[in-house]
Amino acid sequence: MKQKLLALAAAVSLIAGVTVQAADTVKIGLMAPLTGSWASEGQGMKKIVELLAEQQNAKGGVLGKQIEVITEDDGGDPRTASLAAQRLTTKGVAAVVGTYGSSVTEASQAIYDEAKIPQIANGSTAIRLTEKGFKHFFRTAPRDDEQGRMAAQTIGKLGFKKVAILHDSTSYAKGLADESNALLKKKGTEVVFFDALTPGERDYTTILTKLKGANPDVVLFTGYFPEAGLLLRQKKDMNWKVPFIGGDATNNADLVKIAGKEAAEGYYFLSPPQPQDLDTADAKAFLDGYQKKYNELPPSIWAVLAGDGFKVMVAGIAGAKSTDSGKIADYLHKDFKGYSGLSGAISFDAKGDREGEVYRVYKVDGEGKFVLQKL
Amino acid sequence: MSQFFPFPATLNLANLVEEFFQQLTNGLAVGGIYALIALGYTMVYGVLKLINFAHGDLFTYGAYLGLTLLTSLALTDRLGFALGVLVLALMVMGLVAVLGAILERAAYRPLRQSPRLSAVVSALGASIFLQNTLMLIYGARFQVYPENILPATTLNIFGLYLPLMRVLIVLASVLMMVALYLFIQKTKIGTAIRAAAIDQDAARLMGIDVNRVIMLVFLVGPALGGVAGLMVGLYYGQINFTMGWVYGMKAFTAAILGGIGNIPGAMVGGLLLGVIEALGAAYISIAWKDAIAFCVLILILIVRPTGLLGERVADKV
Repeated sequence: MKQKLLALAAAVSLIAGVTVQAADTVKIGLMAPLTGSWASEGQGMKKIVELLAEQQNAKGGVLGKQIEVITEDDGGDPRTASLAAQRLTTKGVAAVVGTYGSSVTEASQAIYDEAKIPQIANGSTAIRLTEKGFKHFFRTAPRDDEQGRMAAQTIGKLGFKKVAILHDSTSYAKGLADESNALLKKKGTEVVFFDALTPGERDYTTILTKLKGANPDVVLFTGYFPEAGLLLRQKKDMNWKVPFIGGDATNNADLVKIAGKEAAEGYYFLSPPQPQDLDTADAKAFLDGYQKKYNELPPSIWAVLAGDGFKVMVAGIAGAKSTDSGKIADYLHKDFKGYSGLSGAISFDAKGDREGEVYRVYKVDGEGKFVLQKL
Repeated sequence: MSQFFPFPATLNLANLVEEFFQQLTNGLAVGGIYALIALGYTMVYGVLKLINFAHGDLFTYGAYLGLTLLTSLALTDRLGFALGVLVLALMVMGLVAVLGAILERAAYRPLRQSPRLSAVVSALGASIFLQNTLMLIYGARFQVYPENILPATTLNIFGLYLPLMRVLIVLASVLMMVALYLFIQKTKIGTAIRAAAIDQDAARLMGIDVNRVIMLVFLVGPALGGVAGLMVGLYYGQINFTMGWVYGMKAFTAAILGGIGNIPGAMVGGLLLGVIEALGAAYISIAWKDAIAFCVLILILIVRPTGLLGERVADKV
């Protein structure tokens, strides 16, 4: 009993110690998959946020205080994530950045919301995350349905009038196909073909022959890169020259390997930008700094979006002139407009979803490289 | 079947006829591969009454061994395309045949006297083992055959698009099937295989070494499956360690369609399944093409429970 009391006393003094410390710094939590199968993303997130915190502190921090980043590992796993979230909520953080996977973020949402800590996710694109009415939840990642809008818009900008849509019956690809189909029809673009292939097969000439018969200006394929590669290869063998557009699931270097450079040339796909293609002055300075400090490029755009999450939270605390969670959330929902982040303009709608375009259009060149298009 | 665009308004009759024949040739090319793999299923079933579920994986091994040999030995650079691919095919056939024989010794022979279910479970286990071994050796990513190994000649016959390679694949498949048929029907060893298929005990009494016959079946079937894997790799380029599953299921279906245990049945079943899939996709719905193929299978089995050519019991192998 005595021992327990002692432990309790120690714990109380620890917590008291933390709150005393909290007066000196503004703490921002980072929840990232530092281990597990997404570890490379998580390590990148940590490096980026630490670099940005360093830079911000050199400029005087926020509200006249230095920023302290407290990192917890979510392991890319929902159960680990809920533990990490609980640990962060006890450490007096003003806001939390993270995390990567949608299901992992989902496991932590309620915990932060209950503790009234603003959370900003960086890699979680699942639509449902912002449909639950959490007041303190934001994300810098685009929603899954954003891509459909971008697909319809791109097809319009490239001037195609007759579109064939092909998906692969997975929930992701079918969702994107349905979304694009509805938007294209609304805009008056003719959809001359809508069907699904069976992923995992090798021979898609039957489908290509049928597609060719429908005589489209462009084919929108919403599935993954293995099938996209085979379609391009067999399309070339058929000597059919129609352009193909794909979704971000085809953003994979193996696409060119499977199709061959010749067949892949001219293939368009939508994707959030590669880190090296970020073109604002801010982003360029950031990439230079990152390369100087770590001697590599950020692993992916998703890690960079964690950096944006950090910048947004710092701007939110500065704008609200407070570390009070309600004030930060209010400020981000209402007064936070036209902020220029690393990945472009950032603002939030009432649900906490990012407004503005994140997706870019890429085209494969003759060397098999993915080149950012200006449309 | 919600979206169904039968014929765009711009098409006329000539285009329709052209498209029909195009789809027919597409189906035959896919069906030729199915038929080659189906032979392995049907031969093993004919002799042992066992569905060799690992057969699809032997097909995958053919594709991977072909890739390794092709890139490490540079056969097509040294010998030219035709001779290079021929030597490559023979090497792959030999290696996969040895693999098939090892499989028979390790997974099936110890269970020869056990209930049939044990052997089926063993077959499934062998399939999982083979697949995962391949993943551990080559990794889980897609592997790709080098580009421009095959001549990209496209024949243009009455406006039909026929890449030379597709024609060659169908021709090679048919040639191998006919050779196998003649081997089974006309040679002494073939007669022994047929005898063992009809009654193993009686065959043994006639002085036939049934163990050797079974070993032979496990050499020939996997060799054909392996060379089918090589052809898929060469023509389609992209291979991965799970590809044997889809092809294996389709080929198994083809074997049943034609009448399992029957060699001409496997050929007919394979080609027919390919054509049904292609025409179903072309004229009904792409997303439903497998469902259509299986509906046809069920209908045929209702009318002819032993498959299309399945009744000639005496010819069983």
